[in-house]
Amino acid sequence: MNLELGFMSAKGFIAFLGLFHTAVASLAIGLAFMVTFAELVGYRYRIRRHDLFAKRTQLFHVCIYNIGTINAIGLVFALSGLFPQFWEQFFVHFHWVMIVEEFIFFLLATTITFHYFFWDYVWGHKKLHLFLGALLTPLFFFQFYFINAVGSFMLTPGNFQEGTLSLSVGVLGWDRLGFFNPSFMMLQLHRVFANISYGGFFIAGWCGIRLYFHSADPVKKAYYEDNGRLSFYVAFMSFLALPIVGFFYSAVLMRNADEAFWNLMMGRGDVVKAGIDLWWLKHLFVAAMVGGGLGYFSRKAAALASGERFSVPNALIYAVAVFYFIYYLCMGLIMTWAFFLWSLAFAVGGYLLSRHMVNYGKGSSRAPFLMMGLLSFGTVMLGGWSREAARPRFDENRHSAYDKLYIPAERQPYLMVDLQPPELTDSPAGAPVAVVAPPNAASLIAGRCVGCHDLQRVRNYRGDDWPKVVNTMVVYGTKLDEEEKRLVVEHLSAGLSF
Amino acid sequence: MDLPVIPTPVFDRWVWMEEFTFSHIPIAAVITAWMFLAPILELIGYRKRDLRYDRLSKSLVYFSMILFSPGAALGTGIPFLIIGLYPEFWARWANMFFWPLIFQFILFTMEVLFLFNFYYLTWDKTMHRKRTHIACGFIAALMGELIQLIWDGIGSYMLTPGGVPLPAVNEPVGFSLAGYLNPSFLSLFLHRSFGNLSFTLLLAGGVFAFRHMRHRVPTEKAYYGFAADVTFTLGFLFFFAQPVIGWFYARVIQGEAPVAFIAMMGGHAWYYFIPKLLLILVFVFIAGTYVFVRHRDKPWLLGAISIGLASFYVIFLNHPPLRVFGSPLAWRIAYTAGILGFIAYLWFVRWRGPALRVPGWQIFLLVAGLASTAVFFFGGNMRERVRSPQTVYGWLEKPEATDYERNRFLTYEKCIGCHIRSPRDLVLPAGETWNQRVAAEARRPEVSLSDEEVVRIASYLEEVDK
Repeated sequence: MNLELGFMSAKGFIAFLGLFHTAVASLAIGLAFMVTFAELVGYRYRIRRHDLFAKRTQLFHVCIYNIGTINAIGLVFALSGLFPQFWEQFFVHFHWVMIVEEFIFFLLATTITFHYFFWDYVWGHKKLHLFLGALLTPLFFFQFYFINAVGSFMLTPGNFQEGTLSLSVGVLGWDRLGFFNPSFMMLQLHRVFANISYGGFFIAGWCGIRLYFHSADPVKKAYYEDNGRLSFYVAFMSFLALPIVGFFYSAVLMRNADEAFWNLMMGRGDVVKAGIDLWWLKHLFVAAMVGGGLGYFSRKAAALASGERFSVPNALIYAVAVFYFIYYLCMGLIMTWAFFLWSLAFAVGGYLLSRHMVNYGKGSSRAPFLMMGLLSFGTVMLGGWSREAARPRFDENRHSAYDKLYIPAERQPYLMVDLQPPELTDSPAGAPVAVVAPPNAASLIAGRCVGCHDLQRVRNYRGDDWPKVVNTMVVYGTKLDEEEKRLVVEHLSAGLSF
Repeated sequence: MDLPVIPTPVFDRWVWMEEFTFSHIPIAAVITAWMFLAPILELIGYRKRDLRYDRLSKSLVYFSMILFSPGAALGTGIPFLIIGLYPEFWARWANMFFWPLIFQFILFTMEVLFLFNFYYLTWDKTMHRKRTHIACGFIAALMGELIQLIWDGIGSYMLTPGGVPLPAVNEPVGFSLAGYLNPSFLSLFLHRSFGNLSFTLLLAGGVFAFRHMRHRVPTEKAYYGFAADVTFTLGFLFFFAQPVIGWFYARVIQGEAPVAFIAMMGGHAWYYFIPKLLLILVFVFIAGTYVFVRHRDKPWLLGAISIGLASFYVIFLNHPPLRVFGSPLAWRIAYTAGILGFIAYLWFVRWRGPALRVPGWQIFLLVAGLASTAVFFFGGNMRERVRSPQTVYGWLEKPEATDYERNRFLTYEKCIGCHIRSPRDLVLPAGETWNQRVAAEARRPEVSLSDEEVVRIASYLEEVDK
C-alpha cells in the first residue's frame, strides 16, 4: 500500500523537488566560486565595481541558499512518505555520510552568512574577508563530495542491484564500497566543472537582463558589461573540462550501469518525455552553447586583442570546440549519425546567432549573455533529469517490502556491526536475525578481496601462482591470518567458485 | 518490523539526538519570536513616528537573518539523524503526519521568500510604502507561527497521543486530524509561543543593556537604553502568560500522560523541574526589581505585574510539597509567604526606587536574560525526557530502553492510583523487602498486578533505594 498525492504522481513530485533542488544547489556552488573570484579580482586590481558586484551576488546567493536548504528538507519529508523503503535503505548504507554532510552544511551556512553580513564590518581586513570567501568553494565541494557519492551510488551501485539492499538490525550506516562506487569520481568532477560553468553563465545571463534595462546609463552599462564578461569567461573556461570528464563518465556508465547507459543512448524509458528525448535535447543545448561561445569570442576578438583585462586565450577557446567535436563524434559512433549532425548544426547555428546578436546590439554582450544563461540552465535541468531518469525504475510497491530483502554476502563485513549474537537476537522487533556463518574460503574471498577490487578481477586471473598472489595481497593490507590464507589459496588453486 | 537501528559512536543514541535538536530549537525559537515582534515594533514606530522602533525592528530581523541559514541547516540534520537512529519511529510518524510535513515545507519556503526578499531586502526601498512593508513582515511572521503550529501539533502527539494509534510502518495514513489535534496540542503551542517571546526578549534586553553599558557615544547609548527597556519589559510581561498556560498544560499531561506527569513532579525528571523554577525566581526577581524601579510612574503596569506574580501560586499548588521544611504545611506556608513577601518587596522598591539605582544594573539584566534562556532549555529537555523510555507515549518504546527504565515506567503507571504525588512517597516498612511489600500491595482487591509486574516494580524500588 502506497501513499498517493492525488494531484501528481509520487515519482513526478520527487522529480520536481529534486530538479528544483539541483537547480538551486548547483547554482549556489557556482555562485560561491564566482563571488570569491570577483571579490579577489576587485581587490587585486582595485576595481570597486567587482567588489560591489561580488557583494550583490552574495546577497542573491544567501537568499537562494536558504530556499535550497528548505527544498532539501521538503525532499527529505517527501521521500520519507512516498518512497519509505528506498529512503530507509539509503540510510542503512549512508547514515553517517549524511550526518557528516550535514555538519559541513552547517559550517557552510555559517560561513556564507558571516561572509555576506560582515562584508562592510571587516572592510579594513579585506584579506580576512577574502579568506572567508575562499573557504566557501572548498566547503561546497567537500559537502557535495558526500552527496555525489550517495547520488552516484544510485546509478552505479557496483555489484548491488536496486531493490536488493537489506534492512536488518545492527547495520553500521557506512558502506565504504557503495560510497566509492564506480561513477563516484566522474560525477564529482563533472559536477564541479558543470556547477562553476552554470554559476558563471547564470550571472552573465543576469547581467544581460540588466543591460537591457540600463542600456542608456553608461556607468551601469559598464558595470554589467564588465562583470558579466568576467563571469562569462570563467564559466567558459570551466566548460572546457566537461566533454573530457563527460566522455569518461559515459564510459563508466557503459561498464557499470548497462541499462541506464543504453536508456540514454537509445532514448528509452523516462529519458523520453512527450516524444522528446531529453538527453539528446540537452546535448543540442550544449552544442549551441559551444557555438554561441565561439561566436561571441570571435566577434569580441578585436576587443580582446586591444588589451582588455581577463581575456581568455584563443587556444583555450578552440580547445573547447575541438574537445566537444571529438566528444560528439564518439557519441555519434555509439548512437546515430543524426545525433552528430544535429549537434553540428546547433553549434553552427549558435555561432552565427551569437555573432549576429553582438552586431545587432552594437557590440553589447547582453544577448549572448542571456542566451548562454538560459541554455546553461536548460542543460543543468535536462542533464539532472536524464541522469535520474536513466535508471531502471522502482517496483510499483514503494512500501513494505522490508522483510523480503537481504544483504549480499560480500557486503556483510561492511554493512554489519560486529555485535554479539545475544545482542542481535534482542532486536526491537524480536524478529529472527541472520547470523553470519563462520568463515569459509568462499566467504573469505567474497568478504576480504572486495575491500580493494571486485570479484571479477579475481575470476579473470589466469595464473596459477595463487600462494604468491595471496601473499602479495596480504602485504597490500588484506587481513588474513595463516589459516585463512591457507583456505583461500586452496580454494582458488582448485578453481572452485565463490 | 525489522528496521535497522544504527549504533552510535562515543555517545548514547539519545545524547546525539538531544544535542542535534538542542542546536536547532533555540535558533528556531529566536527567529520565530523576533519575526513575530519585528512588524509589531515597526508598526508602533510608524504610528508614533519614532525611528528608534524602526531601527530596533530592523535589528531583530537582521539578527534573525544571520541565524536563519545555520538554523535551517541544523534543522535539516534532525530528520537525517532520526531516520538512522530511530527508523521505526520516523517511518511510522512520517506515515501519520506526511501532509503536515509537506505543508510545513511549503510554509517554510513562503517564510523565506517573505522574510528575505519582501521584508528585509526591501526595508529601505519601501520606506515610503511602510504599510505594504509592514504587511509583508506580518505575512512572514504568520508563516513562522504556522510552522510552529504544525510542529507543535505533531510534536505534542508524542507526549499525549490521546488514544490515536501510531500507524504501522507499512500503513501510510498521510494525516490524522485526531492525532494532530491531540489533547496537549493547544497548550504546547501557547506555552511555546509565549515562552519563546519571553525568553528571547529578556535575552535581547540583557544584550542591549550590556551594549548600553559599553557604548561611549551618547546617541548610541541612549538608543541601546531604549532598546533594552522595550525588549526586557515586554519579555517580562509575556512571561506572565506562562504560569496560567502552564497550569492547563500540566493538567492535560496529568490526565493524558500520567506517568510523564509523575516523572516531572517529583519523579526522575525533578532535577529539571526544580532548577527551572529556581531560575525563574532569579529572573523574576531581577526583572521585577527593574520594572518597578524603571516604570514606577505606571501604577497600572505594576498592578498587573503584581496580579501576574500571584498566579505563580498555581505552579506551587501543582507540585508535590517539598520536604525542605519538614512538613507539607510548612512548605505551603513558606511559598505563600514568599510570593506575598516578594510582591511587598517590589512595591517597597518602587517607593525607594531612585535611591536603589546601582551602577552595573545592565549586568543584572544580562544575567536575567541568560537565566530565562536556561529556563527554556530546562523546560524543553524536561518535556522530552519525561516520556522515557517511550518515544510515543503508550505506543512506541525507544530502541535503547533499559529494563530499569521500563520498570520505572511500570512503577509510575501502576502506583499512581494510590501514591499520587511521587514515587518517593512509597515507604518501605522496617523489616520488609520490596518484594514482600509490593506482593502485599498486589493482594489488595483494587490493585491489579501480575507476578512479573510485582518483580519488576520491586526491582526498580530496590534500585532506587540503593
